[in-house]
Order: sequence, then C-alpha cells, then structure tokens
Amino acid sequence: MSKTKKSEQNHYEMLFIIPNKFTEDEAKVQVSKVEELIASQGGEITYREYWGKKRLAYEIKQNHYGYYSLCEFDINRLAIAKIDNDLRLSKDVLRHQIVVTPVLSGEERARQKSLSEKLAVKKEDGEKKAKANEEEIKKTPSVVSEETNSSKELDEKMEGILSAQDLL
Amino acid sequence: MAIKKHKDCYFCANQLDVDYKDTRTLRRFVNFYMKMLPGSRTGVCAWHQRKLSMSIKRARIMALLSHTHK
Repeated sequence: MSKTKKSEQNHYEMLFIIPNKFTEDEAKVQVSKVEELIASQGGEITYREYWGKKRLAYEIKQNHYGYYSLCEFDINRLAIAKIDNDLRLSKDVLRHQIVVTPVLSGEERARQKSLSEKLAVKKEDGEKKAKANEEEIKKTPSVVSEETNSSKELDEKMEGILSAQDLL
Repeated sequence: MAIKKHKDCYFCANQLDVDYKDTRTLRRFVNFYMKMLPGSRTGVCAWHQRKLSMSIKRARIMALLSHTHK
C-alpha cells in the first residue's frame, strides 16, 4: 500500500441563494457573477443547475423567497477559502454552502434523480390509498377536520399576502 | 415515516445516495416537528444514518428544510 498525496485539485459543489430583492433577470446576472468569481480563482465549472425562485423554509434577513442556484466545479483546495470569504461578505448572496462531492457522470445523476422521483410518487400514491381507507372508515366528518381546513385557508391567504409584500 | 416491521435500509435497498438537496426523500426521515427519526425506527442502516443526519443538517442550513414545525 502506497500513500498517495492528496491531489490539490478537488471537486466541489456549491448551492447558493440570491435574495429576493432582485428580479428574475437580475438574479441570473448575480449567478453569472458568482460563476465569474469561481473562474477568477482558477475554478472550472462542470455542472450548473438553476432552480429559480423558491420559498425558503424559514425567513432569512426578512426574505421569504430566494433564487436557488447550484454549480459544481474543480478547483485548487486553497482557493476555496477565498471564494467562501467573498461570498460570506457579499450582500448579493443570501447564503451559500460549499460541499465536497464525488464526480457523477450524467447517466448516474439522471438515474438517481428519476429514482428518487419515482419513489416519491410511489409513496404519495400509498398515502392517498391510506387516506381513502381512513375516510371510508370514518365517513362522518368531524369538527376537527373543518378547523384544519380553515387554518389551511388562512395559511394560504397569509402566503399570498407575504408574497405580495415581497414583490413591492 | 411509517414504522416498519422488517427493516430494510431505504438507501441500500434502492441503491440511492443520500442527497441534501432531495428534500422529498429527507422529509420521510424527520417527524412532524422536523426532528430526525432514529435509524431503529426507520430501518436505515448505521452507515446511511450518518450520511442522512449530515444531509438533513445541510438542508436546514440552506433553508430547504425547516428546523422546527412552524
């Protein structure tokens, strides 16, 4: 067994969020700026994925929505600190996360994605069946379910109001 | 999230990698209050449970999953 020196060039994956103060077009400009930053440090971007506007699971700096973007790149591990620091200080990036990932071929990536989707659909079908069974057993709608319905409506209304505020 | 009778690791059985971006899958391994479920309950093997806990934490940082129920 020979000890091999760790290669200087590593494969990383970065997910970052552009704040909602930008419009869709401006957000794309910001994404390309981040990619330029990576390139300026000698990084080579191998994969990009733009997720678009998504609702955040919790509020970050008064933002309820953000533009998610993903990129994978090969870069010298010493350059990572610079990119990390620059993005941390930048006000145009709400949050970012750099992760070491294995290099995936396009086929493997597609396989994983379709598989996880297939499994999710399968699970949802199962839940629907279970729900239908439960309803058959109950048949009499209880007061509790009505309450949950109204709270759901309230939630939807709240979301509508919040998104309207974000657009202002 | 359901309690399994005979425990097969979800990730071993389906040859699926744990991915912090795949929230639909991660959601199965946390409870209503968004707390991680133990491997003994979900049947995930120890090796994948370690990957899973890391992925859930990463997803929380990126606001893909919430830390608590709202």
